[in-house]
This record gives sequence, structure tokens and C-alpha cells, in this order.
Amino acid sequence: MSSANPDYKWRPVPTNHFRYLRACMVCAVVLTLDEFTRKGCPNCHPVLDYTTGSDLAQMCTSPIYEGCISIDKPTESWIAKWLRLDKYVPGVYATKVVGDLPEDALDYLNAENIEYIPRDGSENNLE
Amino acid sequence: MSNIRDANLHSDEEDDDDFGEEEEDTRPEKRQRRAPSDDEDEEEEDEDEDAPKPSGRDKSRNKSNGANEDDEIEDLEDEDDDEDEDDDEDEDDEGPRRRRGQRRAHNPFLDTMAEVDEDDEVDDEEDDEMEADFIAPGDDDEALRHRAGDDRLHRQLDRQNQADFAEDLEKVAADIRDRHGGRRGHRLGDASTVTPKRLLLPSVNDPSIWGVKCKPGKEKEAVFTIMKKVQDMKGTRNALNIISVLERGQSMQGFIYVEARRQADVLNALTNIPNVYARSGMILVPVDEMPDLLRVQKKAEITPGTFVRFKRGKYQGDLAQVVDVEQSGQILNIRAVPRIDYGARDDGSDPTGKRKRSVGTVRPPQRLFSEAEARKYHERDLTSSRRGIFNFQGETYEGGYLVKDVRVTALQLENVNPKLEEVTKFASTGDGNESLDLQALSQSLKASTDKYAPYQPGDMVEVYSGEQAGMVGKVTRVRADIVSMNVQEGPLKGKDIDVPFKGLRKRFKEGDHVKVMGGSRYRDEVGMVVKIVDDRVTFLSDLSMGEITVFSRDLREASDSGGMGTAAGKYDLWDLIQLNATTVACVIKIDRESLKVLDQEGATRTILPSQVAAKIPPRRKDAVATDRNGSDIRVEDTVKEIAGGENRSGVIHHLYRGFAFIHSKELQGETGGIFVARTNNLATMIAKGGRVASSGPDLSKMPEMSKKPGGNMAPPIIPRQGGRDRIIGQTVHVRQGPYKGLLGIVKDATDTTARIELHSKNKTITIEKMRLGFKEVGTGRILSYAEFVQPKKGFGDRGGSGSSYGSGNSSAGGNSWSGGRTPAGSSAWGGSRTPAGAHGGSGGGGRTPAWAGGAGDGGRTPAWASGSKTPAYGANDGSRTSDPYRDGSRTSNPYRDGSRTSDPYRGDNDGSRTSYGQPVGASGGRTPAWNPGNRTPHYGSGEPGPRDSGTAWDSGSKTPARSLSSVNDQWNDSYGNTSSTTARTPAGYNATSPEFSGGYTAATPGASGLSAPTPGGLSAPTPPVSAPTPRANVWDAPTPGGPTTAATPGASGGDTRRYYDAPTPQAGGYSSAKTPGAWGNDDEDDAPGYN
Repeated sequence: MSSANPDYKWRPVPTNHFRYLRACMVCAVVLTLDEFTRKGCPNCHPVLDYTTGSDLAQMCTSPIYEGCISIDKPTESWIAKWLRLDKYVPGVYATKVVGDLPEDALDYLNAENIEYIPRDGSENNLE
Repeated sequence: MSNIRDANLHSDEEDDDDFGEEEEDTRPEKRQRRAPSDDEDEEEEDEDEDAPKPSGRDKSRNKSNGANEDDEIEDLEDEDDDEDEDDDEDEDDEGPRRRRGQRRAHNPFLDTMAEVDEDDEVDDEEDDEMEADFIAPGDDDEALRHRAGDDRLHRQLDRQNQADFAEDLEKVAADIRDRHGGRRGHRLGDASTVTPKRLLLPSVNDPSIWGVKCKPGKEKEAVFTIMKKVQDMKGTRNALNIISVLERGQSMQGFIYVEARRQADVLNALTNIPNVYARSGMILVPVDEMPDLLRVQKKAEITPGTFVRFKRGKYQGDLAQVVDVEQSGQILNIRAVPRIDYGARDDGSDPTGKRKRSVGTVRPPQRLFSEAEARKYHERDLTSSRRGIFNFQGETYEGGYLVKDVRVTALQLENVNPKLEEVTKFASTGDGNESLDLQALSQSLKASTDKYAPYQPGDMVEVYSGEQAGMVGKVTRVRADIVSMNVQEGPLKGKDIDVPFKGLRKRFKEGDHVKVMGGSRYRDEVGMVVKIVDDRVTFLSDLSMGEITVFSRDLREASDSGGMGTAAGKYDLWDLIQLNATTVACVIKIDRESLKVLDQEGATRTILPSQVAAKIPPRRKDAVATDRNGSDIRVEDTVKEIAGGENRSGVIHHLYRGFAFIHSKELQGETGGIFVARTNNLATMIAKGGRVASSGPDLSKMPEMSKKPGGNMAPPIIPRQGGRDRIIGQTVHVRQGPYKGLLGIVKDATDTTARIELHSKNKTITIEKMRLGFKEVGTGRILSYAEFVQPKKGFGDRGGSGSSYGSGNSSAGGNSWSGGRTPAGSSAWGGSRTPAGAHGGSGGGGRTPAWAGGAGDGGRTPAWASGSKTPAYGANDGSRTSDPYRDGSRTSNPYRDGSRTSDPYRGDNDGSRTSYGQPVGASGGRTPAWNPGNRTPHYGSGEPGPRDSGTAWDSGSKTPARSLSSVNDQWNDSYGNTSSTTARTPAGYNATSPEFSGGYTAATPGASGLSAPTPGGLSAPTPPVSAPTPRANVWDAPTPGGPTTAATPGASGGDTRRYYDAPTPQAGGYSSAKTPGAWGNDDEDDAPGYN
């Protein structure tokens, strides 16, 4: 159940690159756009392949996000569990990602039988 | 019991040889499993005991087997059915598997136990039965019956098996999925793995979260830094043991949160992290607050049709409607009512239109785009792509609206709170239909949280969305945005339910009397509901009798009682209120929800209490205005309109600037007896409290008077000649204040102040003109401002006055001085002294004091004294002083008369104090007065002057002898000679001197003018210095004049008058000393040289 991408290693982001940070709308991981496009999302990669050069990375990640969490031990963390990040790789995540996942991305996820959890706060309404 | 049984059991077991292999296999397992639980053992044993009894073989078997259902079943079967070997066989075959499975998955005996226990109760019977069974084993029915009893167990077993099987399948499927589908599915939140949040709530086993202070704005940085540190230390001995770091910069600024098992780990991890203040203490987040920490609030969704506001730019604050949302959600296509200044930049030289905007100070009003105007002014900039769509100066206009792509960040999306009137601007669509998109509007409104609570207990509300739509109830409580309401209708009647704001609206009925609470410009309007359409309520306003449509959320039922306590209750009848910066009004009628007011222009209007900018508190009772006659009038005086009106009269209620709000008893009617008039159209009829309705203002009460004696003679008196101020460009000399002694050039001047560019310091200062000394061209002497500004005139005057004096003196030779001075001085002196002396009698008493005293007593004298001393002065009445003066100065009367512009003054003077009026009052006020005043100083100066130059003066000056110090003596002498005055003089002088100087420099002089002069002369030395010269000049001039005019007479006249006026004392004193004589004496005495 642990990370399928154990090779992934979180890399520090210099402060002046903060403005390039984006959050993946599916898993909420926060990386620079450059990282997304070069290596793909460490959690979503094969399903949503950001490295193809299409604008999928742009579409599925959002520069508008709130509340950064750096998670070192996702499996132990209650925060990770609560935010459903406990099966993801260690790294920095966002508590809230604003944006709507494009239709085709949703289709990819559905095809893999993955339930997309919106991370823009709308989940609260389900409670 | 159990122990005993146990023992038995064990022994039995040992004996037991009959076990099948399977059983042997399973037994230990079972034992192991059971080991922890004694209860189970017990149960088992019970069962063992019960079931097997019937046969020894069975018994032993059973015991050793433990009382499993299966066992029991099997046993029974075995026992029952020897014939059915096959069956048994089958069962046996199945047995092991079943048992295993059962033992593993199904557990236990609780059920069985219970059953057996029941059996226990009927032990005997059962035993009998069993035995019976066993006795007749061939009885199938019996056996069947028995089996049927056990059927339940079978079914249970079957179910169990099925479940196991299903589980297995699932597992297999999962395995397959894992193998072939990869595991990432799980990671991404496989549908089957999504656990409801409520099951994720933190427990005590979860790590704790500590909040740590952090530099605000640096939260994110800190999180990244810590993450880096964690990574760097990983695998080292000092690996950090924190689990995660959280930042909620948007909602919890200045904090980061660290998830860890131990606080020490947190501390350890945070050491040396910049901007994080772990040492200042950390807060453990309570478990039940942890979910709140991670709460994410979804922002209002922006959908086409919602309203937003511009945050900045030309359209700042304007409402705009979202037309479209870019897919990213970052850019909105909106439409707004344009603000175009078609007329601007007519030259067309600036095609960007940008400069205009930045430069423009006034933003154009909101108006729909006009093609005609655009074409008229800037045809070049106008292009039209399709009908109704224009490009104009780089913007697109569609159907009259500005249509534009705007970044979300430039817009205000929350709390937009559109007002109906704003929204209606968007209602007219291109086709001319007025359609208000209520849906969109309510969307915008929903999210907006108002400053006022839209719902209050007692409101009738209706739920219009959600499960409870249609519910009507009365609000019982409001908490945050949840309303608790008591249902009033329907099946739930009487129940309390909680409903969020967004699904609620207020419910009104036609005919309800409602009041607008806020959120629109109709605030506080009250009216009766005539129509209700959805959210919109139309009511007929009580005030305007017009129909007004507002949202029901903005309305409240207007309570019939006490509704006024709030708004209108703040104002009382006849209160003075401020409507705007320039308009005040008097409340003349108070309605339930409105006020009727009479404004300062005499217009009545009806306003809402909310339109009142402020209530003007009742003025101090001493607020004074001047009526047409120059008398002061104040609140509660009875006045009459004498010009421009209808001869109304009444009692003043309020005075505001030049307006009086007057209440007339005769004048009832629509204004309730109040009318407004300009104060200068009024005449006093009765002053309140018997205050003397003098024909002239009570100068003693004039604020300036009391504040700075002589003020009336000082700077204000200097008339400003038209045109450029003469002093601009002059090189001046600062005579007072922090810059005293410095030279500078006057760069600019107002009536009373000048801007001086200092020579020595690169600095421009603002200073009162009176503090300046002006170098006279040619002579290099330093003149005071007064002298500088009106020298000639002054002279003339003096001349005149001087003449009078002069007359006396001049002849004497000392004239010059006496002339110049005399008038002032002499008069003053003479007047003052004499009187003083006279009064003084007092003089005898002592000098100054005596003087003062005398003066006080005498009135004049004191005046003098007072003159010299501000307070005294005030107290005394400048007028008095003036008397002396006047006398002296009378000469100058002509002057005054001529010169005095101020009729009122004079009038006053005349009216009130002759003495005063003549001299100072008048003079005081006016130039002449000044002159005298000045003179005095001059005088003083003159005196010094004398020293300097004029012998003649000397004589004159002597008197003053100026010797301030010596003066006394001299004076004394001189005076003394004349009369006892001596003492006084000095006294007077002394007193004066200070003033004088003051006077000189400062305005005071005026007052002092009278008195001061003298002193001035005396004491003033310093200034004198400056002054002197001029004086001297002046004097010089005067003298001649004096002589010519025949000062003497004047002088004498003056004196005499004085005497007359001030008769007794002065007269006495004077008469003896009389001017001439006195003067002569003085002169002689003091200034022999003079002579």
C-alpha cells in the first residue's frame, strides 16, 4: 500500500521558486510546475501523465491552494489520514486546492476506478 | 466447579484414544485458542457434560472433543444413526474441514452455550428424552425431530461457509486487481478505500499536534525549511521524529503546527529553523479541535451570472456581473456599466487612453455605452465588429456594457452584497426587456454576510430550499448563520428546527407594515406590503407614498409600538441637526419614522433619521451673533425681523453661523412656529435675562478683548490696503520669537502673517507681521509693522492730534513731542496720570499700585493700569483707559471720525462710552485708535527718540523720562509737581511698560494702546528704539502739524474734555495740572533741556 513510486525523493524548493508552486488537484501534492512536467506527479503519475508535454499538467494542477503540509511519515500521520494523503509519498501537500479537474482527467481516473476527492473544500458539504 | 471439571476433563482426555487424526490436529489449536479465556473453557465443559452423558463412549469423546456444535452434531448422529453409515462417513469426511473452518472463523460457543444452558434448566427431562432416544435409536422421527432442533446450527454453519467463500473470492479478486491493476489505484483513492470522514476522527492513538508561533507570512517557508531539515537528517543519528508540519497561513497567520508523538521531537525539529519561535512556547491542539484545524471552506463558487465587485482601478467598487468563467477559474469574463469620459482628450493625441485615466481626478459617472457619443468625439477609436458590439479605446462594449476579462484576483468575490438599485442596472438587456436574474442575484447574496443580523428572534421565516422547503416558522434563536425556528404550520407544527441562512427568507404578508433594515438605499423606509414576488417585496412607502421594491431579507416587520424609539427617537423637536457639510436644519416635526426639518434656507423637507449626518449639540449659551444694529444677540433673545422678512418676531432657538432659528408664538402652521432668518436681518427686542440691549457690542465681553487686551487696537486694526501687500519683498528683521534677531526677506504675506525667507538660514518661516521690524529706507531705522504700513497717515493724524497737543507743547517747543506724543502721550499721560493722580488721590497711595488701585477705583486710571496690564485692562475697560487717552487723543477725534471706518464702532462708542468711543474705542478699533496706540508706543519711542535725537522730545520724552526706572522719579517729579500724580505715573508707567513692550511687539498694545502707549514709551525702550525713531519722525511731523493745527487747543480741549468727561478726579487733578500747565510742567520738569 505504500508508495508505488519509492524512488521519488522530495526536493527542497528555494523560496524564490515558491511562486511556481502548484498543487495537484487530485492528490494535492505541491511541486513546481517544472517538476510536474518533468517527472510527473509522484502519486498520480501513470494515471495522469503530466510529462507528455500536453497541457495536462497545467490543467490538473492549480496555483491557487492553501495550507501547506509537509508530511514525512504519511502512514503515521493523522493529518495525512484525515486528508487522505496517507498512501501518498512523503512531501509537501496542500489542504485546499482550488480548481476544477478537466473532464478528460476525470475520465482517466474513472477508467482506473479511482474516486476523485475534490480538494477545494466541497467535501465538507458531504458530511 | 469449573476447576473440578477441568481436572476431570484433563484426566478424561488423557484416557481418550478414540480421536480421529483431524481431531488430534485440531485440538491443540483449539486449546491454544481457548487458552486465554476461562469462560470459554467453562462453557465448553458445561456442554461437554451435558451432551455426552447418555453414553460412556460418547461422553469420553465429547469431553475430549470439547463441545463444539459440530462435535455434538456428529456425536448425536453417530449415536443416532448407526445405520446411516454412509451419512456418517460423509459427515466425517466433511467434518475436519468444517471444523477447521468453523473454529477458525466462527467462534464460539456463546450461542451454543446459551442453548445448552437452557437445556440445563430442563436437565432431567432432557436426559430422559435423550435416553429415550438412545433407547430407541431406530426411531427416525425422533431423530429427525432432534435434527430439526439442530438445524439452526447447520444453517449458521452454511452461512458462515458462504461468507468465508465470498471473502475468499473477494480476496482473490483483490489479489488479481493488485497484480494486474497495479497498486496506485489504492493510492489515488480507490472507491473502495474512501472512508467516511467521521471514521477518521482523531483518537488518542494518533499523534498530537502542537501549534508553534512563527513569523507571520513566513509559514510556508518554514514548512518547506522543516521538510528539508527532516530530509537532511534522515538516516543520521539525529533523525527528526516529527510526522508532519502544517501551515494555515490564510486562516491562522503566525502559527505552524507540528504533528509528532512527543513534544521533545517538535522542539528538536524546530531548533534553528528561522522565523519559527519554538521556544516561546507551543500549544497542544486538543484532539477535538484537530479536524477544525484542517477544515477547508469552499469559496463561493463563481458561476456566470453572479455579481462581483472591482477591487481597484477606475471601476473600483463597481458591481460587475460574471458572464463567463475561464476554465482555469482564474479569469472571469465580466460585464459592467462603463464609465467613459467621452469628452476627455479631445485632441485625440493619446491613443492609449491610459494617461487620461491616471490623471483624471473625477471619475466619470456610470452610463451605458453610447455609440453616438463615442462616434462624435473619437470616431477613430471606434470599431464595430457586430451589431451592438463595439470596440472603443481598447475596450469592448456589448449592448452598452463593458465586457472584459479580469483576473479573479482583481475582483472581490465575497460579500459583494449587491444592492437592488445597482443590480437593476444590469437588468435591462439588449432587447429592451427588463429581466432581473433573481437566481444569480440570490446567489451573490447568499454568501454575503451582513453586518446586521438579517434574522432576529420573532421574525417569520420561510424555508425555500432544502429538505424542509416550505416550512414556515418563527425565529427563536440565531447563531452564526443558523436559525432555529419554531415551525408554525404543517405537520411539524410546534417542532423546533435549525436551518441555515441560505435556505431561508423572511415571510411577509400583504398588508404587513414593514421597515427596511439595511442593504439598500431605502434604509429606514416604512410602508405597507402590497406585493410579494419570491424574494422581492414591494411596499408602499409611508413617506414618499411611492412603491419600493426590496429584498425580503432587508425588511423587518415594523412594530407598531416603539418603532420610533430607535431612529427618530434620537432627535427631539427643535433639535438642530446637520444634514450635510453646508446645511443645517431644525427639526420641526417628528413622525414615526421620519423627521420634518426646516433647513437654513427656510425650506422644509422630510427626511429619514438615517439621513441626518449629525446632531448639533446645543451651542454654548454664550454663542453670540450680531444683529443688524450691531448688538449682540444670543440664544433665547427675543428678536424681530427687520429686513427682508415679514416682521416676524420670536425667540431665538439656535444660532448657527449667520442664521438664527427663531420660534415665533404667533407663527404657527406648517413649520411649527419656527422660522429661519439671517442674523443681520434681525433686531434685538428683548435680551434674555435683562442683559442690557446696548446699542453697541459689549466689548468687554468680546472674546478677543478678554483674551488679549488691546487686541482690538492691534494688528487687526491695520487696514489692509488693497493689492499686493507692501511688505512683500522687504527686508525685515525678526523682533520676537525663536528667530528673533534674524534678517530675512518677506516672500509672502497674509493679513496677519508673513512668510520670511531668512538670510542666515536656508529656511522660510511664517511669522506674525507684528513681530517684524522693517527697515526704513533711507534712514535705516527699524519700524514696526504698523508704522511701516501706515506711516503717513499716522502722521497726519498725529499731526492732528499732535497739533492739539502740540499746540500746547509745540509752543513750548517741547511741542513736537508733546504734540506727537502728547496727544497720545500727553493725553494718556495727562489723562491717565492726572486722573490717576487725581483719582489717585490714590496716587498718594503709592505708585503703581496706587495707580492701579486708583485707576481701578477711578475707573479710568485703572483702566490705565489695566491697560497696561492685560488683565487689568480687560477688567477695566479699555475704554477707560481710553478716556484718558481719548482726551488726549481726542484731538485725534477728528481723526478718528474721519478715519474710523467703523461706524458701528463709533456708534457704539458713542452710545456706550463716550470717552471710550471717542478715543480709543473708536480709535482703538480703528486706525486712529491705532495711531494713538501707536503713538503711545511711539510715544514711548518718541521718548527714547528724544534721547536719541529730539531735544524737544526729550522734554516730551523726559516725562516718560522715560526712564522707566527713573521715570518714576522723574515722573513723580514732573507729576508730582503737577500733582501727586507722580507716583502714579510711574506706577502707571511701570505697569505699562511691560505691556508696552508687549504691546509693541504684540497686538496688545492696542488696548494698552491707550494705556500702553505711555508705558510703552517708558518701558518699551527696546521697541522704543525701533519705534522711537519713527516716532521721532512722526513726531516731528506731527509737531509741525500740531502747531499748525494749534495743538494746544486740541490738547487743551482734549484735556479739558477729559476733565469734563472724567471730571472730578481728572478735572481736579488736571485742572490744576491741566494739560498745558501740566505739560508745561512736565516738560519743564523733565526736560529742561527741552525747554
